[in-house]
Amino acid sequence: MVELGGPLLDSLLLGSLYTMMALGLTITYKVTRIPNFSHAELVTVGSYAGVVAVNLWGRGLGEALLLAFVSSAAIALAADELVFKPLFRRGATPLHLLVASIGVGLVVRYVLSIFANLYSILSAKSNLLAQTLVAFGPGANLTTLHVWVPAATLSSVVALHLLFTRTRIGKGMRAMASNLDLARVSGIRTVRVRRMTWILAGGLAGIAGTFWSVYAPTDPEIGWRALLWTFAASILGGFVSVYGTIAGGYVVGASESFGITILNAEFGISASYKPMIALVLIVVVFLIRPTGFAGLTVRGVLDGMRTFPTRAAARWRALGARLSGFLSGMRNPRE
Amino acid sequence: MADLLFLYTSIATLFGIYAILALSFNLEYGYAGQANLGKVFFFSIGAYVAGVLVVHSVAALTGYAGDLFSAQAANARLLYAAGNPAAILSLFVGALVLAGFVGAGFGILASYPALRLRGDFLAIVLIAVGEAGRVFVRVYTPLAGGNIGIGGVPSPFVFLGDREARVAFSLLVLALAFLAFVFVSRLSNSPFGRLLKSVRDDELAASVLGKRAPWVKAQVLAVGSGLAAIAGVLWAFWFQTVAADDFIPQTTFLVVAMVLLGGSGNHRGVLVGAITMTLLDHFTRPSFYAILGIQADLPFDINYLRYILIGLMIILILMFRPQGLFPERPVRTKALEVARAASGQAHADPPAAQAPPPT
Repeated sequence: MVELGGPLLDSLLLGSLYTMMALGLTITYKVTRIPNFSHAELVTVGSYAGVVAVNLWGRGLGEALLLAFVSSAAIALAADELVFKPLFRRGATPLHLLVASIGVGLVVRYVLSIFANLYSILSAKSNLLAQTLVAFGPGANLTTLHVWVPAATLSSVVALHLLFTRTRIGKGMRAMASNLDLARVSGIRTVRVRRMTWILAGGLAGIAGTFWSVYAPTDPEIGWRALLWTFAASILGGFVSVYGTIAGGYVVGASESFGITILNAEFGISASYKPMIALVLIVVVFLIRPTGFAGLTVRGVLDGMRTFPTRAAARWRALGARLSGFLSGMRNPRE
Repeated sequence: MADLLFLYTSIATLFGIYAILALSFNLEYGYAGQANLGKVFFFSIGAYVAGVLVVHSVAALTGYAGDLFSAQAANARLLYAAGNPAAILSLFVGALVLAGFVGAGFGILASYPALRLRGDFLAIVLIAVGEAGRVFVRVYTPLAGGNIGIGGVPSPFVFLGDREARVAFSLLVLALAFLAFVFVSRLSNSPFGRLLKSVRDDELAASVLGKRAPWVKAQVLAVGSGLAAIAGVLWAFWFQTVAADDFIPQTTFLVVAMVLLGGSGNHRGVLVGAITMTLLDHFTRPSFYAILGIQADLPFDINYLRYILIGLMIILILMFRPQGLFPERPVRTKALEVARAASGQAHADPPAAQAPPPT
């Protein structure tokens, strides 16, 4: 029997972290249509802000979180004002915006690396220690971190929900997401809403980063390594759906922790393959259901399960037909 | 006296390799609009084909039965290569051909997501595929030594002596890069090249005219990935090692920067981009200063500077000159010139020469 207590706690913690990071990614994509690869660096900045506040300045968790929120939000805002917004104004394609965000990410990451190198904190763990509250067994300790992180995620989800449903800014974000021009002519201050979006996304990433530095040693690549998991969570959630992203984050966290534990225990597959799970998830979700969890309803899922056999059979036939078409095309491409 | 030969051959070889990569990316992205941000994956396929082929064939030829990825095995390979020029040369050529086909095969596979996804999502998927591949070869030891990688992939010209082998190999790489340039130029100036542009600019219109856009994408990804794999073979034989961590996504971004800088859709511009970025790549490596004998006492790792410059380059080009240094030019064909000459004579109508060419 596989010991599943540890993975359960891990997936709670990691799922919350991925959710918090993916929420920022989702709302920036939703509002500004940028698949923002520099989101990784916002996490890294937050994580280093936490390390600096705690280890170098000797402050507590609250101040560390505040510093992380402010610094990551500032960098997100600066990136948008200096790079993304001018590009967007001149009508850059989504692909150009993506490549630009990779460029921004490279600059921020390696400037941060130089800074970390100068202060010799290239690999640093926050001095804040997670206290064990309850020990369930080997590798399955409920720590303060397991309480703090889900609580922070829950409160940011609640705050986002209230923002999107109760405030003008949040409604403006939803309006911009569905139709930018219509939002603008309706008198929504799109520039202000856009700024608010970046501040929120950056801040959430920064908070997630600080928690990450408490959870594990941080280094300048930490955000990049977590980025593909974050993308997996976001994409699983449909990439534009905030509620889908929450589900996506926890599914990704659980598939990481449980997936590798079970694969390792039952099939002897090395735990080093762990990063591949998220990558495979990204590819599979994009190929099978690019809308992810978005738009799923209970009835839809039940209907889907009921009609699955017939649809699967039809799908196989279609695949066969396509394959034979492809092969005949290969034989005679000019046909 | 610093050994400048080492530096020159290094710049020439890396320029050649990066030029092949950049030309292949330009064919896919600049002409067909398929942003293959998993370029490094196809590049690594070539390197691994070369590494695995050399490791297993030399072991079979010498009857070596120990650990294929140990230092002794690597040394044995180098010794064997020095004594058997014909064997290692044919292995090299075999690796080039095989990698071309394997890369093309994977390129056709990559066209499956390319059919279903928009540009930016395709880019995410291909980055993910590249990283998944890297993680896999890093962990799965039987294939390519896992984390340690493959050592002792001998230079095919090792029998000439150390310095001569370097010169010969870098000249060969330059020649291959030139061939690749001629190949992609001819290809993209052919009816097929115009078909690529039509699919890029308006897939719907192209398919209405009876062009098979999916098949076109599969073909261009096959050609581009095959070229990238060939560049990977050259990389493996030049550095004489194949290590998973050489194939990080930053390499793709370097190639993207080359193409954007030179001008996507303009092969000559891409060559300029490749030489610029190759030089930049060299100036930000500790080995460059070591060769010149300069004590570069930076308080931080100079490698970081390279990535900052690549990132800045990407941002600045996209912001201020998105068409690149040498923008894409309108298609020119013989038929067009004939038509223009004819219309010029018939109507004596000079402005027609400036009219945008029909596409």
